[in-house]
Amino acid sequence: MSTHHISTLPTLLSVAGALLVLTFLTVAVTWINIPEPFNVIVAIAIAIVKAAIVAMFFMNLYWDSKFNTIVFLLSILFLTIFVSITLLDTLFRDAGLPIY
Amino acid sequence: MGNQSAAAGRKSHLQHHFVNEDQQFESSKMGMWIFLVTEVLMFGGLFVAYIIYRAWHPDLFYMAAQELDVALGATNTVVLIASSLTIALAIRAVQLDKIKAAINYLSATLLLAGTFLVIKYFEYMDKFGKGIYPGQAYSYEGIHHEMAVNFFSIYYMMTGLHGIHVLVGMALIGWMIIKAKKGAVHSGYYTPVENTGLFWHLVDIIWIFLFPLLYLID
Repeated sequence: MSTHHISTLPTLLSVAGALLVLTFLTVAVTWINIPEPFNVIVAIAIAIVKAAIVAMFFMNLYWDSKFNTIVFLLSILFLTIFVSITLLDTLFRDAGLPIY
Repeated sequence: MGNQSAAAGRKSHLQHHFVNEDQQFESSKMGMWIFLVTEVLMFGGLFVAYIIYRAWHPDLFYMAAQELDVALGATNTVVLIASSLTIALAIRAVQLDKIKAAINYLSATLLLAGTFLVIKYFEYMDKFGKGIYPGQAYSYEGIHHEMAVNFFSIYYMMTGLHGIHVLVGMALIGWMIIKAKKGAVHSGYYTPVENTGLFWHLVDIIWIFLFPLLYLID
């Protein structure tokens, strides 16, 4: 039954292994100098992949009712709205509004 | 319904307003996910502060991040990934009715969470020793930027709130160990262990973002 998915030992161990490899990768990319906007993009991209792996295979979203995935993705959607609308103000403040 | 036959002879946890154990389990887990959404949005406020300040002062973030110890941050990342693995193994053990193994895995998780906080404690003490405090108490001269305190205020708020979550997680894991010792969780009923696991994995996910954002600015 999908309600009670029991992860196999190899699944859990390989998920942890993948996370360790990606952790090494996220440190390793700082040793080569990637130009300015792309270093942040690479760091965030690796973090998103790691978070997705944790959510899918440790938090069982992959086997769960899809409703839980929708709930979780909605939080990301609302966070994106929060970030983008705030940046629409703070990034364009050279018209006399102070930055701190 | 394998899980119900396994639960036969044990005390039923089924509340009268649910159709069956499966529906109760699913509802509880959905409730936990909705709680996790509020957690994402609470940390979200701090992430927004981080993004605004980094967009305003990219040079400051580069300079200030040099004060953080990448080796300690990376060690803590590995520690949290290991703890996520052990709590996943604990849930698997409960599902298979291997309660003794589950208690060992939960204890290992508790130990790893404690290790995380001890490393964090040494990091904080190192900063405090230099006069790097949040807000007005800041007195470090090593960073030549008038906004230097802002990076560390954000650093302390983000890692501090995360640290509080680690403490709450440890309390929950400790509670699960007690429950397992009492025989209150088993293959037919392991909802609290499952939800504790979800909480703990979210704490891990938040650290996965904090580590590159705070320590790895190059």
